Amino acid sequence: MGRLTDGVLKRLLLAAATLMVFVAGAAAETTVKWLHIEANPAQVKIWEEVARAYEAAHPGVKIEMQFLENEAYKAKLPTILQSKDRPHIIYSWAGGVLRAQVEAGVLEDLTDQVKGYSDTITPAALAAFTQNGRIYGLPVALSQVGFLYNKELMAKANVDPGKIKTWDDLLSAVKALKAAGVTPIVAGGADKWPLHFYWTHLAVRIGGKASFDAALRGENGGFEGETFQKAGVLFKQLVDLQPFQNGFLGLKNPQAVGYFGDGKGAMMLAISTVYHLQRALAADKVGLGEDKIGWFDFPVVSGGKGEPTDTLGGITGWLVTKGAPKQATDFLKFFISKDVQTRLAAGNFLIPVVRGGEAGLNNAFMKQIADNLAKSNYHQNFYDQSLGPSVGRVVNDVTAEIAGGSMTPQQAATAIQLAFKQGN
Amino acid sequence: MRGRIETASMASPESPSWLSARRPAGDGRLTVLVLFLPPALLLFTLFVVLPIGEAAWYSGFNWNGFGRPTNWIGFDNYRFVLESRAFWLALRNNGLIIVVSLLIQLPLALALALVLAERFRGVVALRMLFFLPYILAEIATGLIFSFVYDGDYGLVASVWRWFGAEAPHLLASTQTAMVAVVIVVVWKYFGFHMMLYIAALQGMDRSLIEAARIDGATRPQVLRYVVIPSLYPTIRLSVFFAIIGSLQLFDLVMPLTRGGPADSSNTLVTFLYNNGISRMRVGFGSAIGVILFLICVTFAFSYKRWFMRDE
Amino acid sequence: MNDVEAIRPSFNPAVLYKALFLAVMATFVLVPLLATVLGGFKSLGELRVNPFGWPQHWEWSNYADILFSKRYWQLLRNSLIISALTVTLTLIVSSMAAFTFAHVKFYGSSMLLSYLTLGLLFPAATAVLPLFIKVRDLGLLDTYFGVSLPHVAFSLAMSILLLRRFFKDIPYELLEAALVDGCTYINFFRYVTLPLSRPILATVGTITFVNSWNAYLLPLVMLNTDDLYPWPLGIMVYQGEYSSEWSLILAFITLTILPTVILFIFAQKHIVAGLTAGAVKG
Repeated sequence: MGRLTDGVLKRLLLAAATLMVFVAGAAAETTVKWLHIEANPAQVKIWEEVARAYEAAHPGVKIEMQFLENEAYKAKLPTILQSKDRPHIIYSWAGGVLRAQVEAGVLEDLTDQVKGYSDTITPAALAAFTQNGRIYGLPVALSQVGFLYNKELMAKANVDPGKIKTWDDLLSAVKALKAAGVTPIVAGGADKWPLHFYWTHLAVRIGGKASFDAALRGENGGFEGETFQKAGVLFKQLVDLQPFQNGFLGLKNPQAVGYFGDGKGAMMLAISTVYHLQRALAADKVGLGEDKIGWFDFPVVSGGKGEPTDTLGGITGWLVTKGAPKQATDFLKFFISKDVQTRLAAGNFLIPVVRGGEAGLNNAFMKQIADNLAKSNYHQNFYDQSLGPSVGRVVNDVTAEIAGGSMTPQQAATAIQLAFKQGN
Repeated sequence: MRGRIETASMASPESPSWLSARRPAGDGRLTVLVLFLPPALLLFTLFVVLPIGEAAWYSGFNWNGFGRPTNWIGFDNYRFVLESRAFWLALRNNGLIIVVSLLIQLPLALALALVLAERFRGVVALRMLFFLPYILAEIATGLIFSFVYDGDYGLVASVWRWFGAEAPHLLASTQTAMVAVVIVVVWKYFGFHMMLYIAALQGMDRSLIEAARIDGATRPQVLRYVVIPSLYPTIRLSVFFAIIGSLQLFDLVMPLTRGGPADSSNTLVTFLYNNGISRMRVGFGSAIGVILFLICVTFAFSYKRWFMRDE
Repeated sequence: MNDVEAIRPSFNPAVLYKALFLAVMATFVLVPLLATVLGGFKSLGELRVNPFGWPQHWEWSNYADILFSKRYWQLLRNSLIISALTVTLTLIVSSMAAFTFAHVKFYGSSMLLSYLTLGLLFPAATAVLPLFIKVRDLGLLDTYFGVSLPHVAFSLAMSILLLRRFFKDIPYELLEAALVDGCTYINFFRYVTLPLSRPILATVGTITFVNSWNAYLLPLVMLNTDDLYPWPLGIMVYQGEYSSEWSLILAFITLTILPTVILFIFAQKHIVAGLTAGAVKG
């Protein structure tokens, strides 16, 4: 009987082992699909290294990256989310668009999966990705919108960027630059969202947080109210000076950034990440070196209720779509970790959200931005994202129309309020 | 009565089975009906007819495409469409394309056809050359011309600079964007109409021309009173295609301008895409679709009624 | 000398005008195309100063990089699969239906035919949103069928009408005699109608192929993974990635329209006959 059970036992063990290998093998090959919009190859390279490191530490998991350009991404995202083959990790600027996505039920609730881990992230950033107390994504970077300037061109026109404190100062600077034969401002008007920064930041300066909150509640005429009308009027003042480069309405943002990096314009109102991005997109792939580029914050508006410390910018991050494998969230936690964030901060690619990540910032510029953001009590998210997918795009449309001269500030404000009332 | 079967003209080499086998009663008529017709009807109903009905249904809702539509708003979407500046611009642009097609493109095609309907060395090559733009994808054509029109690297810019002036950014100006688009439309489609006319000219009854010549008509007179009138049916067809084609314009516009700047080069379909699909405003987009459908159908019906003989 | 002058017809200025006209039009057509092809061989800097002319320095790398990239062949492969699928389905489904309409007399035949002609009245673009929802509900988003089936459906009207007309041209006596001999309708279809209809089938196939190969809107809406993108979507993504690097983009455009041009050169007669016959017979 002993020999019989021995043989049977051996066979059983063999079968069990084979079965386990099968089951384990079947469960092991998971692909995590990651859709991103990062146009800076230097940063993408680091991301790829992180992905490979994760794959090495977790055999059986493959991270597949897919790229879509910023504007194309925004346009395609609604259809992408409808597909059952949708990517597992998608880029997000939070705001109303995130809210709409949560309501549509296309995102995975990560609250339980990130318990404990979420304490490593600065609360303000995490809050942006929380809806109704549940966490739907993880923030990865903070950014601020302000003026990047080309030191040489500014000097050529004898304009001191340090002295540009008020909106009127900016207008004078533009006039001086034009008189010196320099293109004052570069903008990617074809994508529209680069233009809406002007209008939005003016609104932030004129009315501050109180105004925006009131408009959301529908008070004071909502987005037709005084603050927003004035923002349009002031923006028009700038537009009337014809400060932008020739054909700006036909230039997409990547092209505009490259244009600025080529040294063809004095200023650009852009997200702080452009500081680095312009190097990759310039024609010579070198762009403006650290000593040639500078930054000044968006000017204040005299009589405005906004604080000078108020900032406009993004809290960007990644979302996980519903039905994604657990490994997707796991990878995100790996990606948004102190090590990786410090590394990316050291490369001056982003302002980190993980506590302690700022230690990696070794560049005066980045430190300044981080400082600005830390001091700010009111960080307004990009309007075209915070107001939701449809209203946001209307904001982009109308600011582009003011810039093109086909809409008055009054009409623009009315259009936004109308879209806001129509909802969705 | 046995009919003679022309086996000689048939392609099948060996004797088909039906010649030899004895078939039971029933010629398979029912089988054909049941087997051959439903696939087409099913596909057609499912993907052509139902969607239009659904478009009408969805147009009554404010819906972002997820789940099922729940927010009924009646005709509000139509009101929004009619109140939207972009819609009227799109309508104007479609109209502009039609007018330019009829007044410039078709006469151009006709003139070319008259020249190329003859026989001479290289005429076939020329015809093929002019037809080539038609078979290229609209999207590729749009991209090629976005290069041609580019303010920095483009051909137009280069020519301008040669004359010493600063190159214009044609696609970035609300005044010139649509004009630029229209030129591309002409470039792409004139060859198609030209081939239609050439086919018609080649099939024309020569004796009419001879008769006119004998009567002493000059060449211009022959052209005006004999040739062109005989082309009326083809011209009518050409006009029909030009108009239907203009209403559908999308692929060409997207790479050039995406409908911008400031909606100045929007067409009805780009307007539909930018609002309905990009922003997933399904109700709004469906309303645009329904309006476009009504335009197409009205046009097709009135055209058939007034100009074309029924089949 | 004098005799020749006497019989030689006087110089006709019309010839000169015609030649000039043709030359202008030929330039109008050729210049953008040649500039695109040649542009791919130039470096970005040269492209800016010399867009029209012959490349001074031939940059082979632009074209080579694309030709050797997995991406380019994947795009072409996807396009081929979708187009082949569309053509096959269209030919099968429409020839079957056309045959039925042509030869089988049944109640409601003309009503159904009118029903089908509805499809000629409006383009797919009008119904693209509900089509998207429907394809999504059928689970066909991000599949080749999701793009192919709507295309087939929308080309059915034209195809059936064209084929029906051709099928009707086959003498009715032939069918009658065959039926008397005991042939079934289906066999007649298989052994008589189809073989005789090769020209029209080739025509319909060509029109369908070209339309499907060049299509942009429907794939744009139905496909979201770039693994499945046909070449029209592919060039737009490429352009989004390399926005200002025109020499790369031009090379890519040239390589993606090359199949069409080659097909055109070899199948000219068919394509022209097909695309214009579709018009005339419709």
